[in-house]
Parts: sequence; C-alpha cells; structure tokens
Amino acid sequence: MQTAARVVITGLGAICASGKQPEQILDSLLDGTISIAEIGGWDGENWPCRLGGVVGFSPRELINDRKLLKLIKKTDVVGIYAAEQALNSAGISAYRESLTSPADDSFAERFGLYVGTSGGYYDTQYDFLPLISEANGSMQAIGERLGESVNPMWLLGNLPNNVVCHVGIRNKLKGANACITNHGTSGSLSIIEAFESLRIGDTDRAIAIGHDAPVEPQVVLYYQKAGLLADAHLTPFDADRSGCILGEGGAALVLETLEAAESRSAPIHAEILGKGCTSEAQGLLPVRVDGDGVARAICLALEQAGLETQQIGMIVCHGNGTRTSDLSEGVAIRRVFGTQIPPITCFKWAFGHLLAAAGSIDTVLALTALQRGIVPAIVPLRNIDPSLQDLPIAKVAREPISDTALILSRGFGGQNSALIIRATSR
Amino acid sequence: MGLVTPVGNNLGETWQSLLKARSGVEPISLFDASGFSVRIAAEVKGDTYLSNTGHKRLSKAATRSHLFALAAAEEAIQDTGIRPNAANGHRWGCSVGTGMVSVDFPELEALQREAAPAGELNTDLLLSSSIASDPIAFCRSQSAQGLSLLVERYAIKGYTTSVHTACASGGQAVGTGLKLIRRGDCDYVLAGGFDSMISPLGLAGFCLLNAVSTDNHNPHTASRPFDASRNGFVLGEGAGFLVLEEWEAAVKRGARIYAELAGEGNSLSSYRITDSHPSGDGPIQAMQQALQSAGIFPEQVDYLNAHGTSTPMNDRSEAAAAHVVFGSHIKDLRVSSTKSTMGHLIAAAGAVEAAICALTIHHGKVPINANLTQRDPDCNLNFICDKAKDQAVRVAMSNSLGFGGSNSCLVFREPGAS
Repeated sequence: MQTAARVVITGLGAICASGKQPEQILDSLLDGTISIAEIGGWDGENWPCRLGGVVGFSPRELINDRKLLKLIKKTDVVGIYAAEQALNSAGISAYRESLTSPADDSFAERFGLYVGTSGGYYDTQYDFLPLISEANGSMQAIGERLGESVNPMWLLGNLPNNVVCHVGIRNKLKGANACITNHGTSGSLSIIEAFESLRIGDTDRAIAIGHDAPVEPQVVLYYQKAGLLADAHLTPFDADRSGCILGEGGAALVLETLEAAESRSAPIHAEILGKGCTSEAQGLLPVRVDGDGVARAICLALEQAGLETQQIGMIVCHGNGTRTSDLSEGVAIRRVFGTQIPPITCFKWAFGHLLAAAGSIDTVLALTALQRGIVPAIVPLRNIDPSLQDLPIAKVAREPISDTALILSRGFGGQNSALIIRATSR
Repeated sequence: MGLVTPVGNNLGETWQSLLKARSGVEPISLFDASGFSVRIAAEVKGDTYLSNTGHKRLSKAATRSHLFALAAAEEAIQDTGIRPNAANGHRWGCSVGTGMVSVDFPELEALQREAAPAGELNTDLLLSSSIASDPIAFCRSQSAQGLSLLVERYAIKGYTTSVHTACASGGQAVGTGLKLIRRGDCDYVLAGGFDSMISPLGLAGFCLLNAVSTDNHNPHTASRPFDASRNGFVLGEGAGFLVLEEWEAAVKRGARIYAELAGEGNSLSSYRITDSHPSGDGPIQAMQQALQSAGIFPEQVDYLNAHGTSTPMNDRSEAAAAHVVFGSHIKDLRVSSTKSTMGHLIAAAGAVEAAICALTIHHGKVPINANLTQRDPDCNLNFICDKAKDQAVRVAMSNSLGFGGSNSCLVFREPGAS
C-alpha cells in the first residue's frame, strides 16, 4: 500500500467579531480585547441574554457581487469571504494563471472543498410568517398565495451547502467535497476530511472552510433556556464561569500535499500530523464529566501523529465557558498528559462560540500564534476553577514549549475532535 | 440494511414494491395541499415502522424524518446480527446524510400566532412563546439531533458525522462510511440518510422553483425519469441505513454479505446551483473516480441506478455523463431510476438507492425505470422497462447528484469477486 502523503497548510483566512484577518484577530486577542457586545439586531431590552460576537462588516464590504448577495445568507457571506482570503493568501489564483487549459482542468478537479456549517436555523422560516398570518389558518390560502409572498429562490438561498457551491463556482474548483453539519465539530471535521482526502490521494489540494452565524433571536433564546449561555462574559475555566456566548464568523485553510505545495513553491505554514474523533453517545446536550470522549480523541490524534504527549507545545481548548464542558476538558487533558502538561489556552472568550466554524478559527489562530511563538492569555480569567488549578491554563501569555499545537473541538451529541498541527519554522 | 420508503415500511416490502413497480406517489395526505400547484407526493404509508423506533425517550425528541432514521437503522442493525458493545463501541462510526433543518409546520404556525401576530417576528413576544420555551423543540430542530439519537441508541463511540449536500447527502454519507473503514478509523459504520420535506415549507420551496411535477391527476406516472415528457420530480421521504463492516472481519464472523462497497467518487459540478453542465461535466468525474477507487473497468458494470430525478436538465446531463464514462459499453449497461416508483427522497435518496444496488447484486434482479413511454432522444440509455429483469449483477453503480453541484457515486461489487 502506498504511504500516505504529508499534508501542509499553505493559506489562511478568518473573519469574526474581532477582525477580518487572522493576524488582526490574533492582535486583538493579545491586546485582551473582548469583541463580544450587545447584539444590535433586535430590541433586547427585556431579554435575559443580550450579548453576542456579531460581525459588523456589511456584506458589500466583504463580497463585491450584488447578484450573489441577494441569494445567500450572512453565514454564507463570511464563509465565502474567509475562503477567498485563504485562497489568495495561498497564491492559488496567481499560480493558476500560469497553467494552461488541460493542466488547469486537472488542477480544478483535484482541488477539494470541505465545509463545516450549521445546517440552518430559524429566521429563514420567518419568511413564511407574513403568509401564515394573512392566511389566518387556511392552508389552502398558503398554497394559493405562496408565489405572491415568498421569494421564488427561497429554497436555494437556504441550502446548507451554499458555500461549497459558490466557492466552487466563483473559483472554478471541482474536486471531492463535503458539507458537514455537525454542530461544534463541523469546522474541525472539515479540516480532518480534507486532510484525509489529501493523505489518500483523492485530492492534491483542498480548502477547508467553517462558517456560522447563530446570533439570531430564537437560537439565542434556546441556548439561554438550555442553560448554556453566560450571565455576562465568557470566562473559560474560571471558578465563576456561567456559560457560553454565541458568535458569528468564518475561517478557512488551504491544504496541499507537501509535494503539491513544493511543486509550486507555495508558502508552507504548517503540517497537519494527526486527528481523532469520538462520540460519547449520551444524547444531544450531556457531556461526560470524566472527559472520556475528549481523552480518547486526544489519544487517537497523538497515535496518528506518532507523537508523545511531551512533544505537544500548546493546547487550544474548546473552552466554551460552560461548567461541565470546561471541567471535563481539563479532566481529560490531565488524564492523557499526567503531570507534564503544556500551556493551555482558548479563544472563544474574545469573539464568542462560532459553533460550526469554531474548530476552523481555533486552528487558524493556533497556527498564527505558534508562528509568533506565543500562547495567548485567556484575558478574562480571574480565578481558575479550584478543581483545575494544577493545569497550566494561560492566565498570562506564555511561550509554547514546542512548535506543535493540539486543538480540541466539541459539539452537540457528545462529539469531540482533536487535531495536531506543527508550525513550519520561518 | 434497513429501509423506510414510500413503497414499504421495511427492506423486504420496499424491494417487492420496486420489482412490481408499485408506485408510491399519491395525493398528499399529510396536510391540506389543495392550494398548492403540486398536490402529489410519495409519502411513507402507514406507521408500522413505528414499532422499530425504540424507547419513547428517543422518539419524543424525534422529527418525522428522525423516526424514519431510527426505524431503518434498527432494521439494519438487526439484519446485521451484531451491534456495538462495550468492547468495540469505540470502533463503530456513524455517518448520516440529513435534510435541511426545519421545524414542524404546526410549530411555525404556533410561533406565528404567539410571536408574529402581524406577520413580523416580535422578539418580546418570542420570549414568552411556547415553542421558544420548549427544550424538546430545540433538540428536535438541531442538525446533529438525528445523528445524536442514533449514536445514543446504539452506544456508537467512534467517528460520528452528519453531512448535507442536498440530494447527494445520502450517497456522500455512505461514501464517507467507506472511507472511515478504509483509512482505519472504524471497523464498523452505521451509514445512511433520512429526510422528509413533504411539509408545507418543503413543498413550497420546490414549487417556487418549478422543480416538482404538476401531474396532480396522474400521480402514478408523474415521476418518469428520462421520458421525453418529464416535467419535474416527485417529492418523497424516508430513510435508508447500511451497516458497513471491514471485509475480513465480516468474513471471519460468517456474516451474510449483500455486496462489497467497492468504491466511491465525489466531485463538484461548479456550473449552476440547480444543474450540472449538459455535457455531464461534474457527474463524469464522480463516476470515473468511483470506478477507479473500486479498481473496476467501465465495461464490468452491469447496472446503473441512475439519480434520474425526472427533471429535464438532470436527466439529460446524467445520460450524457453515462455515455462519456461507459463509451461503447453503454448499450450493454442496464439502467433504471427507482425514483420512477418511489419519488425523490432528497437527503435519504443516495442511501436508499445504495441499499437497492446491494439488493440487485444479492437477488440477481433489477427493478425497472417505470413510466418510460416516450424516450427522450437525449437520454439514450439501455433502460429496464416493463418488467423487473432477472439478471446476474456483478457490479452496480449508484449516482446521487445534488443541488449545489455535489455529485456522489458509489460502486458495489458481488461479494468475493475482487
């Protein structure tokens, strides 16, 4: 059997409440800026939860295509924006200009697209509320007046796989693809599926994109009623943490086989070394307090990477600020790493939990931080949870102990993923 | 394998209906569709599948499509004869193709009454609305809920994923399952798809696009893939699940093997949201990759279960793709679209049709492409018409081509033939 190809990262893109480039977002994080603010989209005066990490840029600032913008939602806009930023930073279009027709066709067909997204929320269905109101209980009237009330393109505007489609059409990419709608692990799984497709030779290059925009009234309310949202700020691993804050954004990585990247002298930022994915199988919301799923995911990733625990230079936790998720993550890390634990940090406190894009932006920022030789501090952290006090959780910025980062993501359904990347020395 | 489809509440019923080409298309009964331009669909009939949906704790947090999934998965698990246990649960994976997130229409109506009396959402009224206060409604509407119900029920603790590439979802989920086993992430994968868009919103979405057949007075012939007079697809619903198992392990335990899932291919058309290029560009690459991944030459393929939606553009593009991929073998390749009988199951279609391909190999029979009376000269393939055919099928191929341009192709081979 052919040995698996080595897989490298050659392009990055990200947008969230903290900025619209990876370097800018990391700067904001290192400055200790919390970009979570009152949600302006609706009157929240009477609401028990009013905070979110909203992307403030107008769609026109991000994508200059009025016709397309009529057809897509905010989550798609940030996804396409992050994707094209990553493609540019990898120099993909510049390289393709040097290719002639058959070589360019093959380039497109061997370029994969792997996207993690939410699968959809509620506000798109509100497009039917005026019609339902007007129909006054008559289903017949709903059918009859449909065409006058609802945009004929309604269904296409709401396809969960819109980013796969439009990034493909706009950038002429045609390879293997997936659209993963798996809550908090969607973004990580998009990277993992791209990584595996490159390893086995299904593709030579691929873009892995995560995007989400969950900050809408019914989502926020459901999360709040489920006890998942913070009273005030998101303070991961703090003794007084009270929950999560939702955020909007997208992030993308261009992945190539080492051979493909070297053949075009691409900028190589990092290598992906291993991954692990597990489920705890206890229902949608519960997580195991013993950290079973997280611990198994880390062990699988280490095994595939062929690394010992002491070779990991920093851990980017999921750190969503809920009582049980943070605690079980800490317990899992202790179980796997014993007493020699590298610095631990996380990023959601600055711009919120991007759900399906969380693993994507965490990986982009982990890599950017590794390249700068820094483990960013968890700025709002005051008092570490007493049961996690033995863990080296970064209250202040530190140096990673190696060029390798472990990134953890978690999602509904007790799903966990672990990803290990090694930054290329500059 | 397990199925819940418009023509049967289980695998055996579905297969018999397909062989007899008993149409599952009827006037819509799930809601009053009298005002819609399309009033027919392929609904799952009756509710005998509900005996397979498991504990009420699970089913009360399930949508209609989740119930189909629970029932089809249970049939598949029972059919396999093994299930995840404490020793191997972490070596089991689950890969599902899910439909678009939507809430049940009565819930949306309640939301309108309580929080949008004038048609615009009033966020202060939303705060006190019953639906927005219902944690079970929240769980039901989550995109990972179908997957979560399955992995909880069977204590599946390995790699788990939900995918959505519209009409290609089910095929991609099964293809993902194959990759999980090939790359060693799992020894067993419960793979499948489930969907139900036969709801006022689902039907409305397709009616607005003029994508569905308006043959309201002739439901049984409304779905006629590759016929010159075809005028759209017929919305179906259901679920299909397959248990995939690593070959050596299955042989060792003496498992009854329906077929080998030999290869998968996956491509993006990048042409238009709703269509592939008329030349077949896009589907061609998926089919070629699937053959390559299986190590099979085009002339070895005996049967193609076409995506064949019965829309003018899809069928033409797919037929063109088949000509490019199969060349002169095209005259010997038997083709049918089982959507002619059971409608289009959207995110479940690829998984259900994967199971059908495995059954053609297992039983040596191929179901027909129903309702093909006037052949479209642009879709010149060797269709199975009139009567299901006894035919040894050594290799079968299934296409799933989705809105958004994702194409998935799966190749199945007679067990032990590799």
